[in-house]
Amino acid sequence: MRLLLKKINMILFLQNIVRFILLVLVQVLVLNNIQFLGFLNPYIYVLFILSLPVKLPRWLSLLLAFVLGLTIDVFSDTMGMHAFATVLVAFVRNNIIKLFTTIDEGNNPTPSFYTFGVGAYVKYVVSIVFIHHFTLFFIEAFSFEHFWILLLKILLSTTVSILIILGIQSLKRK
Amino acid sequence: MNNLLNFLIKYSVVFLFLLLEIISFSLIIKNQEYQKNVFLTSSNAVVSSLYEMSNTVVEFFKLRTANDNLSEENTALKNQIIKLQAEVMTLKPQTKDSVHFQLPPELEYEFISAKVINCSTNKLQNYITLNKGYIDGIRPDMGVIGDEGVVGIVKTVNTKYSVVIPVLNEKIRINCKFKKNNYTGPLQWDGLDYRYANLNDIARHVELSLGDTLVTSGYASNFPEGIPVGLIEDFRISPSDSYYNIKVRLAVNFRTISHVKVIKYMNYGEQKAIEATAEEN
Repeated sequence: MRLLLKKINMILFLQNIVRFILLVLVQVLVLNNIQFLGFLNPYIYVLFILSLPVKLPRWLSLLLAFVLGLTIDVFSDTMGMHAFATVLVAFVRNNIIKLFTTIDEGNNPTPSFYTFGVGAYVKYVVSIVFIHHFTLFFIEAFSFEHFWILLLKILLSTTVSILIILGIQSLKRK
Repeated sequence: MNNLLNFLIKYSVVFLFLLLEIISFSLIIKNQEYQKNVFLTSSNAVVSSLYEMSNTVVEFFKLRTANDNLSEENTALKNQIIKLQAEVMTLKPQTKDSVHFQLPPELEYEFISAKVINCSTNKLQNYITLNKGYIDGIRPDMGVIGDEGVVGIVKTVNTKYSVVIPVLNEKIRINCKFKKNNYTGPLQWDGLDYRYANLNDIARHVELSLGDTLVTSGYASNFPEGIPVGLIEDFRISPSDSYYNIKVRLAVNFRTISHVKVIKYMNYGEQKAIEATAEEN
């Protein structure tokens, strides 16, 4: 029994590492170059934080989020901005999960359409991605000077990111 | 004591959260300064080698436009050579026994050609990474131009790579003047559209017309005089203002940029030194 548990943990561990690397590469090499209308820049690497196991210790998810944000920062010359947004999102994640779902005691699911149910998962993704993009874009601008244009940018990018993330997740089988 | 310990354990996650946010925030603040940590930017070796790899693929798709630009530039240069040769021929008999021809010191420069391996246009603070660095002779503060005109100014350099602040960054102002009447003003990007920037400080008595050419003023030591910056796309002035609000169409298309030239002044050190002594006294 214990061996089985260990094996499952090992698989989870590897899954998350592969997910981390893939998402960073896709983000940095592909999505950072999408500059539709000069407005859109989808950030899908948040999917890594979204897909961390529900019962992962919070300190660990905070640290992982910080490392992820810093990695993206190094690649896009935006020191600290992504790290700030990802750490914030990792911090509020547990509360948002509690808000939308009820997880049984002793279960430790990876968030997806199957474990959360379609409605709850969509709500979860939308709120996390929106918080992340909102923080990121305002930190980047560092002022409220072009507030409405900034808000438009945030809404457009958030929509596209959410669509891409939900698209990726719907491809996954149970 | 026990209570305090319990308190600390209970809120350890919150403390960690605050700590990480403070670290990120201080990084952001630190990054507002002009010089930043070379290690944690895209001029870092691991990051830039990855970008260079991806660039070898992407560059292939830009070859056609790059070729067109190169051939255009070639013909322009050849024309110039022919013109200059003719001039030299006519001047020869006169200069035979007088002082030999000498360039003014501010015009002694050479170009270092470099390739763009990373470039963004959609952020408020965009940066460009080049595949040449300290060993190729690039130093901070050198001007960078493309085939069409001004690109930006070198910010950080390490042995093999360098990062450029392009015109498309709110932190940078480039001093420009009108080709036809020499009035100067700083050009700054407003963060909205990668094709346009704004020119300020042109007083209302100056006569403007759409399509006027803007070139570098040569006042700063980054660019020689007369490198194209852009054209006037639109200008407005309200009755109460004393300065124009001018929208400039940039000469360089930052979406398709792939090859640039870094300007290296031979007398940069001397100029800086004499300016420094003048300020001291």
